[in-house]
Formats: sequence, C-alpha cells, structure tokens
Amino acid sequence: MADSRTAAPARVVITGMSATSAYGRGTEPLLAGALSGQPAFGPVGRFSVERRRATAAAELPGTPVLADELAAAIGGACDMAALGPAERRSATLLLALHTDAAAAREAGALSVAGSTPAAVAARSRLADAPRVYATACVAASTAIADAAAMIVSGRAGQVVVAAGYLVDEDSFALFDGGRVLARDGQVRPFSSGRQGLLLGDGVAAVVLESAAAARGRGVSPLARLAGWGRAGDAYHVCQPCPDGSGLSRAIGAAMRRAGVDPAGIGYVNANGSGTGYADSSEAAALHRALGAYAGEVPVSSTKSVHGHALEASALLEFVLTVLVLRAGCLPVNAGYLGPDDECRLNLVLGSAREARCRYALSLNAAFGGASTALLVAAA
Amino acid sequence: MTASPALCRAVLPDGAGELTVLARSRWPARPPAALPAIPGFIISSFSPLAAELAERCLRQHFGDPPADSERGRRTAIVLASMTGDIATAAAIASAVDHGRAVPPLLFYQSNPNAVAGHIAARWGLAGPVVCTIPAGHGLADAMDSATLLIEDSAADAALVVLADQGGPDGDSGVAMLVGPARWLAQPGSHRGKPRPSGISDE
Repeated sequence: MADSRTAAPARVVITGMSATSAYGRGTEPLLAGALSGQPAFGPVGRFSVERRRATAAAELPGTPVLADELAAAIGGACDMAALGPAERRSATLLLALHTDAAAAREAGALSVAGSTPAAVAARSRLADAPRVYATACVAASTAIADAAAMIVSGRAGQVVVAAGYLVDEDSFALFDGGRVLARDGQVRPFSSGRQGLLLGDGVAAVVLESAAAARGRGVSPLARLAGWGRAGDAYHVCQPCPDGSGLSRAIGAAMRRAGVDPAGIGYVNANGSGTGYADSSEAAALHRALGAYAGEVPVSSTKSVHGHALEASALLEFVLTVLVLRAGCLPVNAGYLGPDDECRLNLVLGSAREARCRYALSLNAAFGGASTALLVAAA
Repeated sequence: MTASPALCRAVLPDGAGELTVLARSRWPARPPAALPAIPGFIISSFSPLAAELAERCLRQHFGDPPADSERGRRTAIVLASMTGDIATAAAIASAVDHGRAVPPLLFYQSNPNAVAGHIAARWGLAGPVVCTIPAGHGLADAMDSATLLIEDSAADAALVVLADQGGPDGDSGVAMLVGPARWLAQPGSHRGKPRPSGISDE
C-alpha cells in the first residue's frame, strides 16, 4: 500500500469506457442522442402499463438481456483500455446493479444480472467482484469513488466499474405507485411544470487506473478523474435537505481534492431527476458550493433525454460527461417549459452549446441524503 | 459477534493509527426482544432490523440521539446485506403479479438508502451513505467499505450495519461503530447541547 503521507497521491485516469442506452449500443449513439436534445422516451413496449398512471420510458428496442449487455459493456471498456488477459485477471470489478425481479419470486440467494457478482467477473475474465453497490441513484458514482480510492491507496492497479439497469415491470410499478413518474411523458429538470422522472435503460462500464500505470502500458487516457466527494445530509428518509447541504459538501470535497475553484468548472451534468423538491435542493447545493458562479456555469441534466437508469444512472452520466468534455459541446436540458425561481441556473436550453471545458462535474443524489460529486478533467 | 483486528486495519489519514471498534450490537438480542416498528415502514422487518442494530450500537457511544454534532458530521453509514429486503421485494412482486397498484410506502422503503436515511436523520450522521450486497464474507466486506471511506478522508468514523432477513434463525445482524481510538478516550455522548440547525459545509 502506498503511504499517502509521504508520496504524492496517484492521479486517476479513465482509459476505457462503453455505454448502452435507449439510443443504442455504444458511446457514439449516446453522445449523438444527448446532443440532439431529442428525448428517447416513448410508450413502454416491454410490458403492459395499462394499470399504471405513467406510460413512458426510454427503452432499447427488443428484449435485451442485462447479463449480456453488461458483459458487452465490460468487454468494450476493457478493449478500449487495451487491457490484456493478464491485466484483466488482476483487475477488480465493482458492480452497481438493481437486484433481479426473479429473486423476489423465488427462494434462494439474492441475484444480480441473473447471476452472482463472481460469475459476472468470471465471464469477463476479471479477478473478482467483491460486492454490488446498491446505494440507489448514487450506487455507480459511489463505486467510482471507491475505485479511485483503491487506486490512490495502492490497493488496486486497474479497476473496472460496471453498472446496468433495464426498464422492468417491478420498478415501473414501484415508481408509479410512488407517484414519481412524469405522466406527461417528458422529464423536465429544473423547469416549471416538471412532473417527475422517467425510467430509462442504461448499461455502462469504465476502466480506471493510475496515470502512471496507463503511461507504463502506453495507453492514452480519455480523461482524468480529478476529484470525487460524497456526503450525507442527516435530514430525511427520502427527501434531500432543501438547503442542499449534503450535495454541496460532496461538491466541495471534489473541488478541494482536485484543487479547482468554482470558476474552473466549465459544465455541470446535474442529477436533475425532474422531481420538484429534488431539483430545487440541487440548485441550492450548487449555489451553496459555487457561490455566484452557480448562476453562470452551464448546467444540464441528461436524464431529460436518456431517462433514469437507477443504480446505473451515475455511470451512464459519468461516461456522457467524459464524452462531452472530449466533444467540446454541451448537451441540452430537454423538456424545459419555463423558469422556476427555486432553480436559478444557467441551463443549456434549445440546442447543444459549443464549449471547450477543462473541468466538468457529474452530480448524483439519492434517498437517504446520499450525494456524490465526480469532477472530470480533460485529458 | 466480535470483529477481528484484521477487519479494522486502516491507515488513518491523520496518522492516528488503526481503526477501533467503538461500540457494537447484534441481533437477535439477549435477552430476546421484539423489533420496534418505524413509522412509515410497513410489511418488512428489514428496515426495523437495521434501525434497531444502529440504535443499540450508537447509544453505547453517543448516549441519547442525536450524536455529538462534530462526530456525527463525520460519521458515515455502511449498510450491507447478503439477503436484501426480501419481504419488501416479495410484496412488490406480488402486487405486480396480481395487477394491483404498489402501495406508495413500499416505494419509499424499497431501497436500503431509506432506512439509512432514517438512521442518519435521527442520529445526525452526515457522512457518506453506502449500501452494498457483499459477495463474500458480509461483515469483512462491509468493514472494507468503511475502511476505504475513512482512508479516503470521506469520513472519520463509520457505522457499519450488516442486516440479513429470514435465515434459519430468523432475522439477524451485527452493527459496529468504528473510528479513531481517540474517540474512546473522549466520550462522544451528546452533552445536552441543542442540535445545530444545519450541517456545516467543511
């Protein structure tokens, strides 16, 4: 283990990534879809929603199988990172997944992606998968932060973080019963008239390692994970503190770790679920953490186009944030109807906006006050 | 249940040495007791189990809730379960299979974050919240998660709860508060100060 008191902390870089969303398989359709500003929502086709209040979701066509999509995403990310067989055999896999619907109907062990974490790792020829992150909407970003901590501490060389969720009947019924799905079929983050979230397919994988390890392998990083922060808010079972204190502390921790001032941040991919109280709390968190600059930095929530992929959402959005930095073009905050006084932000509206950024924030928040901030730096 | 020293080894960021188990609890309790219900949580014993494990553990170190505000602000919650909330998942599945609407309360309790939020709000714990399904040894992996958070300076201490539902002996679990040894030397009980209205930003 590296001694963090005597050695400069390792710089964590992203060397491979892959994503599947309702726009299709691969990062190119995801970026193109997000920049188009055309939401991928449509009538649910995978199961009947006849008895539900809401009827829309963002789904891949056909009947995708999560285990197969996950294996493909992990393989794609590892290939992009040029991880050889020996490197894969020593790489840890951190998974963020929803538990299987089948597990609720059969006695037996809890399963994920129709399998066990060890079997998911073995299928991709990775060393092991010690756990599945189940921290709701911050599951995958928590896994990314843990991966970074493992690399910085010298616990791990390469870490693969993978996450997946495919829209399913149980979750749809659950969220519909909770009355948090948008009945108008659109997600409208930070907008007046927003009705709630919509579910969306999302499967993604990234390879993280130290900059030195990537350099030693002759691999060019796609981007750098300059900072990460996580915090709670000690406020409520399911609602974030209205003052945004938890997410604000996570943002502050990420900026301090990166040594970046608010003005250095060129884009925020917000959690922006499209629910009333959560969006206003997030806006408050940005103002609390960034001060007056919170009204200037461009903000959008890409959930407005690809939907909410639950445990996988933070990884899908992290991949998209890396893609946006590399493309120099900011995605639209779709579904916008008009301003909300409690969400005074510089939203990217109308069409994608060209902008060369050095740093971008990817934010996520969940039940129980769990909040994460990932600060991505251009390579 | 006791944690072996190997489960608590960590290099603390301030050079204060290894993590110390500050308090612990287990379920089933001795003498036997019933799980207290939590308002707003229905059907399943999973969330009451996690909350009661936390309650019995945290009271040993902090006394009555909430926790000392400075320590609470820097205490994380790691909630691990090998089984997950079986009863809530089964109730959701049953509602779907029979074409019924899912009760709204099941939505709120369907994720372990919900009871973690209950514990955090009651005790004023404002560190990170992490919920996991360990693949191997549940407690060892949960302690690994806590150690990583503390080594990474995301928290000074962590409440680690392992809660499992419906085993051969019914619901079972353990909870441990782990943190720096200096917290043992200086009592962490709330000393009658009013709880601050907000969490400071640092």
